[in-house]
Amino acid sequence: MIGYVCKYTPVELLEAFGEETVKIEPQVKPHESAHDFTHVNMCSYMKGALEQILEQNLKEIVLVNCCDSIRRLNDILKNKVDFLHIIDLPRKINNETDRLFYRQIELFAKAYGEYKGTRLKTGRLKEIIQSRRKEQIPVEKSLVIMGARFEKNIIKRLEETYGIKTINLTCSGNNRLSDTITENNVLFSYAVALLRSFPCMRMVSDRRAFLQSLPVKGIIYNTIKFCDFYSFEYANLKKTVNTPILKVETDYTDSESGQLMNRIDAFMEMLETKSVSRKTRGKRFFAGIDSGSTSTNAVIIDAEGQIMGYSNVPTGAKAHDSAQKAYNLALKNAGLTKEDISFTVATGYGRISLPFANKITTEISCHGKGAYFLDRKVRTIIDIGGQDSKVIRLDEKGNVLDFAMNDKCSAGTGRFLDFMAKAMEISLEEMSQVILNYHKDIVITSMCTVFAESEVISLIAHNTEVKDIIRGLNRSVATRAVSLLNRIKHTEKYMMTGGVAKNKGVVYEIEQKIGAKLLIPSDPQITGALGAAIFAMESSD
Amino acid sequence: MNAIKSYGNIITKNLSDSKKALAYLKLGLNIAGVYLSLFPDRKVPASLQFLQKICVNSIKDYFNHPDNSMWVNIFSPTEILHAMGVNPLFIEAYSGFLAGISIEGQLIDAAEAAGISNSLCSFHKVFLGSGELNLLKKCKMSITTSMICDGNIGTFRYLSEKYQTPLYILDIPYEYNKENVNYVKNQLQEMIRNIEEIFGRKLDMDRLKEVIARENQSKELLKKYLENLALKNLSTSMTYELYMLFASHVFLGREETLSFYRMLLEDIQRAPDRRGKGIFFIHVPPLFEKNFIKYFNFSPEFSILGFDLNYDFLDEIELRDPLEGIARKLLLNSYNGSFDRKIALIDMLMEKTRPDGVIHFCHFGCKQALGGIYLLQRYFREKNIPFLTLDGDVIDKKNNQEGQTKTRLEAFLEIIRNR
Repeated sequence: MIGYVCKYTPVELLEAFGEETVKIEPQVKPHESAHDFTHVNMCSYMKGALEQILEQNLKEIVLVNCCDSIRRLNDILKNKVDFLHIIDLPRKINNETDRLFYRQIELFAKAYGEYKGTRLKTGRLKEIIQSRRKEQIPVEKSLVIMGARFEKNIIKRLEETYGIKTINLTCSGNNRLSDTITENNVLFSYAVALLRSFPCMRMVSDRRAFLQSLPVKGIIYNTIKFCDFYSFEYANLKKTVNTPILKVETDYTDSESGQLMNRIDAFMEMLETKSVSRKTRGKRFFAGIDSGSTSTNAVIIDAEGQIMGYSNVPTGAKAHDSAQKAYNLALKNAGLTKEDISFTVATGYGRISLPFANKITTEISCHGKGAYFLDRKVRTIIDIGGQDSKVIRLDEKGNVLDFAMNDKCSAGTGRFLDFMAKAMEISLEEMSQVILNYHKDIVITSMCTVFAESEVISLIAHNTEVKDIIRGLNRSVATRAVSLLNRIKHTEKYMMTGGVAKNKGVVYEIEQKIGAKLLIPSDPQITGALGAAIFAMESSD
Repeated sequence: MNAIKSYGNIITKNLSDSKKALAYLKLGLNIAGVYLSLFPDRKVPASLQFLQKICVNSIKDYFNHPDNSMWVNIFSPTEILHAMGVNPLFIEAYSGFLAGISIEGQLIDAAEAAGISNSLCSFHKVFLGSGELNLLKKCKMSITTSMICDGNIGTFRYLSEKYQTPLYILDIPYEYNKENVNYVKNQLQEMIRNIEEIFGRKLDMDRLKEVIARENQSKELLKKYLENLALKNLSTSMTYELYMLFASHVFLGREETLSFYRMLLEDIQRAPDRRGKGIFFIHVPPLFEKNFIKYFNFSPEFSILGFDLNYDFLDEIELRDPLEGIARKLLLNSYNGSFDRKIALIDMLMEKTRPDGVIHFCHFGCKQALGGIYLLQRYFREKNIPFLTLDGDVIDKKNNQEGQTKTRLEAFLEIIRNR
């Protein structure tokens, strides 16, 4: 069994040797052994591949000179496996590189043959290649997956949930060559066909022309942390292509996590590819529940959209219990019972685990809905909650046009401010001041909550005024929010929602930075639940 | 120091008006050029004062004559540009300059807001960000190589498209062999044809040979300088060590670079013997990091012996066929191909400089260097040389943890003091 990483690997050639090939696709796990042999800040695919090779004790490995990380993987694997070969793949495609790549394939066949004590049978190779069928490109509008390799399971789930076809243009795509043998020299035409397959981002060629020939409904663009190739193409596509595009960043350790699915679901909602929902009819009240990371909110509205009652409870260890509690409390406040509710929509992180919901929707759509309901002039929403911060752009009808969310860590979210208030031993109210007469312009530089905490502690140790630190912290949250805003085309009017909207200091600093006022709803935390309730009302129509 | 800070503040305030910000940048560089002629840095010997002027002038020349300039990366074969009288703007150094006036934060934010990955090397992000905020003057053309660092092609492609400038990418294969030498040589020829067409002037092969002859002479002087490092103590700082990249790469082959190396050799020969401990740096020394500045800059206790990137190719280039010689130089660079080459280079440098300790500052986002950290640790264990790795960012100050760095660095220096 021989392991490989790259689509330019001559897999058919290995099969012609009668060898079983295994594409290394690291699964969810920590990279314990890999960290013994390389640095943590390496691309997570490389670390995952190293982990898998060591763990499964793969003894034969063929790599391609793909990138800095894979080149180092080759260096690290020396003397750790029985057979190791790196194929030098040119970046340019022309007659000269055809010959260079052919020479590389020939050298590899020779090296592997010597290792196995056998020779390549080109007749067998020809048969194998001819048996391959080219993948059909769908005719209907499809979802294009681009960028770095993407988990098969997610693609499958997407196709099933939304009944949409996908075109996989990542480097783990299935598009292999087929009727490519045109010359007598089988190996040469094989090498040429391999080199001239749809170029990956590492190659020196423009891929946009090819994209234009496809029936694209939307693009999911996957980038990996510490991979240098993809974000450039994403940045370019975002500027030049009119198709809706979603950027997701994965690191191969949590590819099915809530955060990733959340973004994808919201994107699919944006594309109006609605999933199937259960419907009930007859009664006149509607509920929305937003099960967030720190608080759970419930809102009950009537058929006119009047808020009948709402609640706000902290999310405990079990999202389900808190949701039930919030729901019951909102019902009580509204003077209703659950029999009065004709439709319930759940949103937020815990939305999947709420059995009494008729439908689930992501908080991105719900915040958009709720904010638009509160003020039809809202075009941009900044929502900063406990562990997420997001910005959403709406069109004049209140539909979500674009959104961006923070990356994994809690920097710039409500929890960040909670931690800092604790570190400084002050209340959240004190944290929420607008500070105009400061002494020193403190800049909190650390991106990480833990490090920012030690930065704050050392500021206190240096007798920096608490007021100045508070201003510095609120400004750092504002900076993060504005940099998120800059990822979408934002216009007035702005509304801020989520728990952090109660922090006047943050609101003030954001307003200063964008030069516009932020509308703040009377209870900013319930905007998501309100949007969910409105969805419930609409779903029931 | 404060003058630089206020200068940075002025530029920061004008970032939204790129014309104004550019005008201030240009003005600042012109003032700096005059200032350095009048008030050179007395802490360093004459050769390094001269080097600083070369560096500032190169960026100044780009601002004053962008239509006779090219964006290049550190490994680009600039010999050809020197022979044709074209001024290279060395983009990594330009980013370093912008970080020097403390405006890197806004530029990095601008790059990330455009969709560029936050884990990309900050040398590239700063350059991209200055492009996003229109802080660059449009060049006539740019060139880059694919070798050693993945970020280059993406960065150059992105900005060339934005500024609508022609780009030539040199694809440098992994292995050194005859076919690959030809492949690179053919690309060099194609690149020269492009430059000739765009700049409307011909490359004179004899002038290229003169450039290469000066490059070879410079290398000889550099090797002699290296022989002195184990015993002598040259008063220097991390910034000057990084300035040396101009001499050892992008400006190699120019008349003034040769003069610099002559002066450098004289200076080290005249320098006092080293009394304190010697520290060698691998990868890039963090020139803006406060603890490093405190312990190493102009320090008689812990002398900076240099860093490996200034020595990545020390062989002579054949004059017979200059393009073939340049192709060989690119392919045989110590960082191209397998990591064994880098270890062989470091082994040679350890033998020559005989340091008391070696520090590898792991610059955030640099996979080619960080990926080999385990192999280096193994090497230094075998050689019994104290070796410290520290994580951080040379350019992006917010990626550094000062307190953490302090504890680790001081503990390491205690070990060295007691050896």
